Amino acid sequence: MKVKQGFLLREIADSWVVVPVGQRVVEFNGLMSLSESGALLWKRLEQEVTDDKELINLLTGNYEVEEEIARLDVIEFISNITEKGFLEV
Amino acid sequence: MSTTWGTLSGRLVKNSMEQKLPLIGEFELTGRCNLSCGMCYVNCLNQKEAEKKERSAKEWIGLAKEAFDAGMLFLLLTGGEIFIRKDFPVIYEELAMMGFNITLYTNGTLITPQIASWLGRLRPSQIEVTLYGASQTTYKKVCGSAEGFRHTLRGIELLLAQGINVQVRTSIIKENVNDFESMAELTKKFGLQLGIVNYISPRRDGENSILNTRLSPKETASLEKRIEEYNIRDNTSLACVTEDISHVENTQEQSCQFYDINDPFQCGSAKNSFWITWEGKMVPCSFMNQPSTLPLEKGFMTSWKELIELCSLVPVCKSCSECELSGYCTTCPAKLYNETGSYEKASHYLCELARERKQVMV
Repeated sequence: MKVKQGFLLREIADSWVVVPVGQRVVEFNGLMSLSESGALLWKRLEQEVTDDKELINLLTGNYEVEEEIARLDVIEFISNITEKGFLEV
Repeated sequence: MSTTWGTLSGRLVKNSMEQKLPLIGEFELTGRCNLSCGMCYVNCLNQKEAEKKERSAKEWIGLAKEAFDAGMLFLLLTGGEIFIRKDFPVIYEELAMMGFNITLYTNGTLITPQIASWLGRLRPSQIEVTLYGASQTTYKKVCGSAEGFRHTLRGIELLLAQGINVQVRTSIIKENVNDFESMAELTKKFGLQLGIVNYISPRRDGENSILNTRLSPKETASLEKRIEEYNIRDNTSLACVTEDISHVENTQEQSCQFYDINDPFQCGSAKNSFWITWEGKMVPCSFMNQPSTLPLEKGFMTSWKELIELCSLVPVCKSCSECELSGYCTTCPAKLYNETGSYEKASHYLCELARERKQVMV
């Protein structure tokens, strides 16, 4: 899985914001804010990710978080951005 | 891990103001227009001369890149009339790919099926179309073009057919004040809300012909009452009074708790927003000619910092800040300067408007 081209992650005024670019505005006319950990996952997902485990490890490696909590966070994040149409599966 | 729009915009506005980041930029791409409205604050009478002084597509694109790096997220493209520029597609196509949330202001008359279809593919966040009346007769009186009425309606229809988020607004003056209810009805037929700009400032270049055409304070207060009555009668808020209705500026309005009471600018001007005139000057907002800086000559960031510094020197109007009618008044340095030639002098027009508002509300 991978985030679709045409969605740009920007850090502005201490916020992480996903901005649709060009034709992507047709699919999603708005902005989405991400937390710091969400932005970390997003940046990784700009390249192809084949296993959730990689994302879980990214969270446990960067934050003091138990693996099970990280797993649930990753599932929720993936589900959220899939629902909004940001992800190519 | 994600946030709703309300939370996000509130946080962006607050943080950008605190950090003095240029979050909101407004590019006045041209001073030229195919209509000639008496109340326009740009109104270039000599269009050929204006075209020569316009900044090139390359300059606007370069400026946008610098502003992007400085943190600009919301970008308004306006004029004059943006579609009068032959190279508007060149500018827009570049900016649309950079990562901004873009709003376009237009009078709608130059929207063709081809332009609408192109915009439908490369969609801005929203397009705000200004409606100047509810008939050809009113359009002739306000803009000097009876045909403008039909062309504007066609423009709105074409944009809506492309699924574009369209907002309609109007500026009310003596020549179209009687059309207010008809304009609200017309807009409602499109399923849209009518935003109403009810304060017309003297032009920022000091030319004062608009004083003959704008509503008197008494007429403005009575218009506001009419709008209120219309909304109650219609059980809706399809018409609303606003000084400027862009999405983010509404958020800015709601964020007034961030403003220092001793700051003459009770808005985001030179805190997190700026305006670039068609000649390429950076000013705090559309109404102001000064203070100004030169981003195309000195670079965006240098100019932004200079603008912040210059605006910090603008004094508070003492009589306005102590006025008991301040709750009825929306004074600001831009209005005071344009009305009186000074930041520190109360404006007879605005004072009278506040008195009339109070009387109407009692």
